[in-house]
Amino acid sequence: MRRVIRPVPAFSLLAIVFSLLLLTHGKPAWADTPAQGAQDLVRSLSDEATALLNKTGESSEKRVESFRGLLRQYFASSAIGRWVLGRYWRQASDAERKEYLSLFEDYIVYGYVKRFSDYSGEQLKILRATENDQRSVTVFSEFIRPGGDKPIRVDWRVGHKGDTYRITDVMVEGTSLSQTLRSDFASTIHQGGGNVESLLVVLREKVAELKIDLGISA
Amino acid sequence: MERMTFVVDGAMATFRGAPTRFLAALLVVFSISGCASAPDPSDTEAYAEYQEINDPLEPMNRAIFQVNRGLDTLILKPFAIMYSVFLPPAFQTGIHNFLNNLQTPVIMANDLLQTNMNNAGVTFTRFLINTTLGVGGLGDPATELGWQRHEDDFGKTLAVWGVGEGPYLMLPVIGPSNPRDATGRVVDSLILDPIGLLGTLGNDALFPYSMTRTVLTAVDTRSRFLDEFDEVEKTSLDFYAAVRSLYRQNRRNDVDKFIYQRWKPASEREEQPAEPATTDFPDMSDMPELDEPLPE
Repeated sequence: MRRVIRPVPAFSLLAIVFSLLLLTHGKPAWADTPAQGAQDLVRSLSDEATALLNKTGESSEKRVESFRGLLRQYFASSAIGRWVLGRYWRQASDAERKEYLSLFEDYIVYGYVKRFSDYSGEQLKILRATENDQRSVTVFSEFIRPGGDKPIRVDWRVGHKGDTYRITDVMVEGTSLSQTLRSDFASTIHQGGGNVESLLVVLREKVAELKIDLGISA
Repeated sequence: MERMTFVVDGAMATFRGAPTRFLAALLVVFSISGCASAPDPSDTEAYAEYQEINDPLEPMNRAIFQVNRGLDTLILKPFAIMYSVFLPPAFQTGIHNFLNNLQTPVIMANDLLQTNMNNAGVTFTRFLINTTLGVGGLGDPATELGWQRHEDDFGKTLAVWGVGEGPYLMLPVIGPSNPRDATGRVVDSLILDPIGLLGTLGNDALFPYSMTRTVLTAVDTRSRFLDEFDEVEKTSLDFYAAVRSLYRQNRRNDVDKFIYQRWKPASEREEQPAEPATTDFPDMSDMPELDEPLPE
């Protein structure tokens, strides 16, 4: 059998030259695998959270604001908020979207800061990471509990774009936080007659309620 | 008032072992309740959402959920709080282990129905070790000796046989379920459980025993979720919808994990399956600004 030798197309040559150039310029930023980047993100979140939780004698307000800082830095809260609203996002007016995203952040911060604060003493052990597709990675981890109880399984969905990594979902024992919120919110809209405003009414009340619960003045 | 009668009647039927009465009560509840109206299939998004929620009996389910919440607040939760506050943790662990050990016949029957001899062997060995070394099942030395516990029920057996979960179902007293797992519960408690089978065959001699066991199991289970349940109730916007979603995800994860790892020897079973159970998650494709700041 005779092998047909085809001329190398110009773009292949360009690609080779380009890769050689890259090699000579050291490791480019995107050479780290997404799996590695995502694990680094979760590890860094865990370290910062542990440091925060070890600070004692902080006021409720201060703790809430530190928690908000972590949320903004590590989570794609805006993207999660939109996904949670699902098809109703498109129906919402600009003003409704704006208020919704702001309420959504407050809702997560005030609703989860207590659960977050309760998790002191546990250690997060990162097990491994799998790339789901071009855009997202799942980081598998477990919470090791001090009493020697069975570890709690926690999976993190991490989305990435270029060098930006953000958590898009947390799954505790296979239960997705984003999915639960999505069901909850969609049902609230249904019960309220199918419009986004009805959800905003309930969210406003809920955020106010959670703030009072935490002892934070409105 | 009428619904309450069904609730009590249905529950007693399970304990006394009269499956026909229980099922008849369920059927009556189904037939007197309205169904949620399905949206027009031409509205694809609304229709997809309706199918995803998969709760055609929602109005009835919500009503039963309210009754269950009332029963929980008045009876189960107070007992669970007393149980977890006043009973020393070692006693609680002992009772939990003891109740687990009593589940052996049901677990093993299902292992065998799935022709999973490996699992059946583990279940049997655990029973021998824990009943002897573990002083009648109060301790769980089997786990320390490397015989890991696995849960099994007829709902899982049906899943192994290829039966899907079906629509959401809120059962009186028992709580969230679906047709497959509700059937599983009936088969487990009335046929596969030896004491239950005795009751089904008309022998009520051990009724006080099975009643005590059922109540204790309920209190033990509830006491383990006191804080979690309160948190969900406090933070959710629509508690019913949040419970529906959590129950379904949790059960799916359990069943998927079980099916995926059922042929692996216990020592090689990982806590986590290869694939996360939830395939639907926030998609990044239509979200260009991952780090977009939130509006101030």
